[in-house]
Amino acid sequence: MEAMLIQYPWLDELLMGFLGLSWKHVVMWLIGATLIYLAVKKDYEPALLLPIGFGAVLANIPHSSAISKVVGEEGFLWVLYQGGIANELFPVLIFVAIGAMCDFTPLIRRPIVMLFAAAAQFGIFATAVLATLMGFSFEHAASIGIIGAADGPTTIYVASRFAQDLLGPLSVAAYSYMSLVPVIQPPVIKALTTSAERKIKMGYENEEPVSRTAKFLFPILIVLIAGMVAPISVALIGSLMFGNILKESGVVDNLSNAAQSELANLVTLLLGITIGGTMSAERFLTVEVAMIMALGAVAFVFDTAGGVLFAKLLNIFSKEKMNPMIGACGISAFPMSGRVIAKMALKEDPTNFIIQHAIGVNVAGQVASVVAGGLVLALIPALAK
Amino acid sequence: MLTAATAKALTMMGIALPTMFAVILIFMLATKLLHKAFPAESEELEGDDD
Repeated sequence: MEAMLIQYPWLDELLMGFLGLSWKHVVMWLIGATLIYLAVKKDYEPALLLPIGFGAVLANIPHSSAISKVVGEEGFLWVLYQGGIANELFPVLIFVAIGAMCDFTPLIRRPIVMLFAAAAQFGIFATAVLATLMGFSFEHAASIGIIGAADGPTTIYVASRFAQDLLGPLSVAAYSYMSLVPVIQPPVIKALTTSAERKIKMGYENEEPVSRTAKFLFPILIVLIAGMVAPISVALIGSLMFGNILKESGVVDNLSNAAQSELANLVTLLLGITIGGTMSAERFLTVEVAMIMALGAVAFVFDTAGGVLFAKLLNIFSKEKMNPMIGACGISAFPMSGRVIAKMALKEDPTNFIIQHAIGVNVAGQVASVVAGGLVLALIPALAK
Repeated sequence: MLTAATAKALTMMGIALPTMFAVILIFMLATKLLHKAFPAESEELEGDDD
């Protein structure tokens, strides 16, 4: 073959794809195909898993021009990576879109639910500790733990700062497990609660309606408090709340609608395919990545357990008992987690409607996950010294 | 024996979790005050989907 290539140098150009192909590339095509299958056939986070899967295929064609880093011939995935992920732009823009979609009314009406959201972030830190025990460096372990925020943009944001080489697997793990919330949470909740606890009904007494002024001022208030505690979190919480104030102001409906639809769709598309572009075979097919995928599942289990156990603890001290299942909605997988828990309550007792409470905790999870992300961002450089 | 990385992760947990609850408590109090300071007026309630 080499003799032929020397004799006919143009053959090298024509056959470079075949000559550079290895079994690792083929495995990555299969992984990409699996992500596409899950998106298309199983409807698991299709807006993200479809572009990620296709990006992974593009990145694993030998000598792919899509990921070329050659100066003057940079591939579009590499350009997007530099322009949107390495500088953290895409996650921040996604937060603007999420903020515009969020309705914080249930949270303002019943602020105590924020405590569940705080407890449900336990998974981040427990997983980080576990990851160090498995041999990861502190920075990588903390970035792996962030999968437990159940918040894709926060995961990408932290990883792009402290674990750039693990960005692909971390994102895939975060989004895969977010789509698997209906599979992961119910067995953990059932293991930690009794049937009687799952049947606890929660009323809506003493809950006053929320004024438009309160809804408008809420994002400003949260930004100021979070920003003062962890200035490093301002980009994340600030963009989330900026999106929300667009919505709550009521005077820029066109901008709010654009954030919720065009911006969300466009950035999701670019984010997904760019993440897929980072999943090259040499980076992805490692024991480390297999461990990250396993730790991602562990993070979600710890989050769920943390929220449920905290709710049970509060019930010991409170007169008005709460359904401990709502503690599990403190993860940021919104609104999937809230819906899953509400369905579980209905399954136990068809007259038990806890959807409003569950969604309230789930919205609080959005805020808490960003606060947790901000704290991790602040603590990694401080502790890594 | 704890590795340096594990010790740092445990320290992070020890600092971040209580800080997290402290921040959330501040959020809770501030939100309660906000809700009290700006109650919904009757005309707002009509047609409101709260």
